[in-house]
Amino acid sequence: MLHLYRFPLAVLAVIIAVLLLAYLGLGEPKPAADWKWMDIAGEGGTAAMAGIWLLQVLSSRPRGRVTTLLALGLAGVMLGAWVDCLDEFFVLDKAELWDNWLESLLSPLGMLLLTIGLAFWRQEQFSLTEHLQKRERLFREHRAFDRLTQLANADYLRRQIKLERERRPDQPCALVLLDIDRFHAINREHGWAEGDRVLQAVAHLLLLNLRNDDLLCRYAGDRFAILLPETGLCVANRLAEHLRFMIGHLAHTTRDHGARLQLSARVVSAVADTRDEALLASLNAALEPASARAPAPAPAPA
Amino acid sequence: MPHWNPLRHALRPQRRRPPEAVIDCYQADTAFLPIRQHASLVLEFARERELPAAALLQGTGYDEHDLLLGGCSVSPASLLRLLGNLAARDRARDLSFELGQHWLPGPHGAPSLALLQAPRLADALALLVDHQATFCPLLGPRLHVAAGELVLYWTDSIGAGPQLPFLVELHMAAVTGLCRWLSGERLPWRYCFNRTPPAFAEQHEVHLGSRLQFGSHFDAMVLDAAWLDRPWPGGSTGAMALALRQAGHEPARASRSLVQALYDYLLAEIRRAPPLEQAAAAFGISPATLKRQLARHRTHFQAVLDLVRTHQSLFLMRYHGYDQTALAHYFGFHDARNFRRSFKRWTGLAADLPLAAASFAPV
Repeated sequence: MLHLYRFPLAVLAVIIAVLLLAYLGLGEPKPAADWKWMDIAGEGGTAAMAGIWLLQVLSSRPRGRVTTLLALGLAGVMLGAWVDCLDEFFVLDKAELWDNWLESLLSPLGMLLLTIGLAFWRQEQFSLTEHLQKRERLFREHRAFDRLTQLANADYLRRQIKLERERRPDQPCALVLLDIDRFHAINREHGWAEGDRVLQAVAHLLLLNLRNDDLLCRYAGDRFAILLPETGLCVANRLAEHLRFMIGHLAHTTRDHGARLQLSARVVSAVADTRDEALLASLNAALEPASARAPAPAPAPA
Repeated sequence: MPHWNPLRHALRPQRRRPPEAVIDCYQADTAFLPIRQHASLVLEFARERELPAAALLQGTGYDEHDLLLGGCSVSPASLLRLLGNLAARDRARDLSFELGQHWLPGPHGAPSLALLQAPRLADALALLVDHQATFCPLLGPRLHVAAGELVLYWTDSIGAGPQLPFLVELHMAAVTGLCRWLSGERLPWRYCFNRTPPAFAEQHEVHLGSRLQFGSHFDAMVLDAAWLDRPWPGGSTGAMALALRQAGHEPARASRSLVQALYDYLLAEIRRAPPLEQAAAAFGISPATLKRQLARHRTHFQAVLDLVRTHQSLFLMRYHGYDQTALAHYFGFHDARNFRRSFKRWTGLAADLPLAAASFAPV
């Protein structure tokens, strides 16, 4: 994202250069014997670190008020330390006041802007956390998220079940698995990209129909898992049935021909009272369509 | 006598080796797979997942330009490298299964069309085995039908090494997906994997089904044989035959890899257990050449022989009720203790036969 900030970064580089030139032009170089290495390392290091933080912030954030404040603050801290560091190499006339002003103003001003920026950043985090709540619950691990649906994966689900059972061992905690019917046929008939869009649409629909404390995960392929904390089997069944109903009524149209795809899903639910692996295995087996459990087909007609 | 310059000789591009084997088979470095087929399929799949094509092609000897031109052919070894690069980016551990669903019938012209028209499971599997050089050049399918059960098991064609589990998942997902699509229903396959259980098997569960057995002696898919002859809704015997006739007009390619050919030869002669020299003679090459070629495929003669014997023992025990004495007699061992020792070497199992038989029968 650094390319978004090409102009401000160029301005910053110019300011750094101008400061260097000002000291070169107006100041007298100190003899090397007078250099205080501890101060140079401390102030130069601070300037370098603040510069790295600035680049890290800019390369990871879109534009906006919080980004501007954080960037200005870090730039101020960096320039203040840079002026301090230059001061170690040059002696300026006592009559020159600008360097004193720069030294005593830049760093505190930078700190102030950074503090205001962090306060707004905190608000921003709260609203993002609220937005992500049904996707992550109580725990953040960015590696566990699926690229396509932005949902957590099965690893994350298992960890959450464990956490939930440790946190409230006496409360029931339900688990729902949901599998889209004939999803492989959608892939074959309408293309794999359309299949991906169906998964995204279903993920959104499910998120909209969950309570605030529920957690939605993409278990694998076209199978979703929903963890329902403090929920009994009866409520879980009702919710699962509702989700199934909503998917049946989703009007998903294909991108190519605008045809409406009729979706349907199978759901199973259970209360997480056994070991999570055994529970997941039995739920997965229960999800398989009857034909896959049948021992053998009827003899072929002659 | 011309002046011999070793340096120039070393730098000169290697001329294609004259055919060493008289039998019809390909090797890891035989460039016979049109780039527009498997390689294009893999890269198109990667593109949809925003994986960089240049990084995937690293080490294959090809670049995106070759792919656009599309005139050249790649070797199984290059295809394996491409899949290896893909597997290295498989963070969610689902690429093998997802790519598997794209794998069949594949963009292979007339053979793909024939597979698409298969009227029954039996025809589809026979096509897959006969045209394995086209459909699955890296991992060969083998079909064993006995006692009302069909076993589709897979053996390594060119020495996949650490990529073998990825290939097994890919091919099992491919056959499962193809059969589900063409038959219009999910067939109740049971799956055996010759590997330790993965930490978590959610991808296996969702893409293949919940009947999985790990730590088995081969990579196999098992199904009630009654499914073989059930008619498939969109299939047509006539259309399949027509497409196959067209496939006959296409440039001929070897039907299987060297390792598969050796497996076939040893399977046919298993009760005699011919030594390396006889096998080489049957292939029309010298024993040293056969040894060298097998080494290039990360295997050796004894390993292939042991593999054939293991698979045969398992089938004989499970489907024909062979006990230890019968097996020893079948393989021509006169001393039961000697046989027990050999059996342990082939299979890693003590000759506790009921246990051995159970280890390959999934629930």
